[in-house]
Amino acid sequence: MKIQPQALLRFAITAAVVIVALLLGHALWRHYMYSPWTRDGRVRAEVVRVAPDVSGLVTKVPVIDNQEVKKGDVLFEIDPLRFRIALQQTEANLDAAKASARAAGANIDAVLASASARKAEYDMRQEQATRREQLAEVVPKEERTDAKSAAETARAIWQQAQASGHQANAAREQAEAAVVQAQVAVDRAKLDLERTEVRAPVDGYVTNLDVRVGDYAATGSPRLALIDRHSYYIYGYFEETKLPHLRVGDPVDIRLMSGGTHLKGRIIGVARGITDRDNPTGKDLLADVNPTFNWVRLAQRVPVRIAIDEASVPKDVVLAAGMTASIDVQPRRVLDKDEH
Amino acid sequence: MPREIALADALVPSILLVYLGCLLVLWVIDTIVGHYGLYRYVWHPSLFRVAVFFVLFSAVGLLLYP
Repeated sequence: MKIQPQALLRFAITAAVVIVALLLGHALWRHYMYSPWTRDGRVRAEVVRVAPDVSGLVTKVPVIDNQEVKKGDVLFEIDPLRFRIALQQTEANLDAAKASARAAGANIDAVLASASARKAEYDMRQEQATRREQLAEVVPKEERTDAKSAAETARAIWQQAQASGHQANAAREQAEAAVVQAQVAVDRAKLDLERTEVRAPVDGYVTNLDVRVGDYAATGSPRLALIDRHSYYIYGYFEETKLPHLRVGDPVDIRLMSGGTHLKGRIIGVARGITDRDNPTGKDLLADVNPTFNWVRLAQRVPVRIAIDEASVPKDVVLAAGMTASIDVQPRRVLDKDEH
Repeated sequence: MPREIALADALVPSILLVYLGCLLVLWVIDTIVGHYGLYRYVWHPSLFRVAVFFVLFSAVGLLLYP
């Protein structure tokens, strides 16, 4: 049987088109499945939970909800009266401590003067005793012994006075330490008074303001959230199949769901761990693994942190933590090839 | 070209629009080829049509998302 040229041509044309279709289809599939982009990006921001450092009644709240504040602005004020009184008391204590330090100083002078008097007395007695000892032929023994013991007594009194001097010294040091203590108490009272004004630790936006005049604010319990205005970033949840195609430092095109605004960004980190959802701990501390495993395997998604280029954010765009964004990574394959 | 597009407030992948457009183009090609009787140069017309669709769709898709 002879193959007809036309039949061959028909087969060749069809086969060529089918092969091209398979190749292109495969390429598109790979591209669509593995190119690093995701529709699930979230705008996030760092939030400071502002809590007062001292407890007390709230007397003033000069900010309103969602207000923009600068670093150092007063957010709310706690009744300073009690802390002013405490400061006055510590100041009075400081004055008292200073006075007793001065008294201790004066006491030392007195004791030192008394010690020199005792020393002079001893010197005199000692000299007397020595003189009488030298005139042993004319001075009776009793008188000599008396003079000697008088000198001994004077010496003991002098030593006692010296010990009193040491004691007075120690008392003065104690009084000086008490002054330092009182000074520290004053500084602390001043700090407490200063901290009655709760100030913004960063530039940002007041959010969820939950404090009213008359509230009792307790130390350490957060009363409002302050969103750091310079801390906006994006978490892109990329499927694990796409991770090999992105690197830290890759430029990123961000498209916000609100208004379709395009922003520029850069990958600054890939999370190194997510929870294994197949392994919650069940009863008796045993693993609670799913009973079935299907043919279809779902790719896990790993958060990739993206820094937003602040200069690329249009002035009229409102960024809010929690907003949705699409993220398209532009891998630097060309650059990589140059490096290797 | 954006990765997704809002159709009546529902965000759909733009590649869906590409798919619909390619179906339209395929229909036009099919009409022309059928009109001039060029299917006699083709072995299996239906296989050929499917292959042509995949060529169109993949080529446009790859071009739009480089």
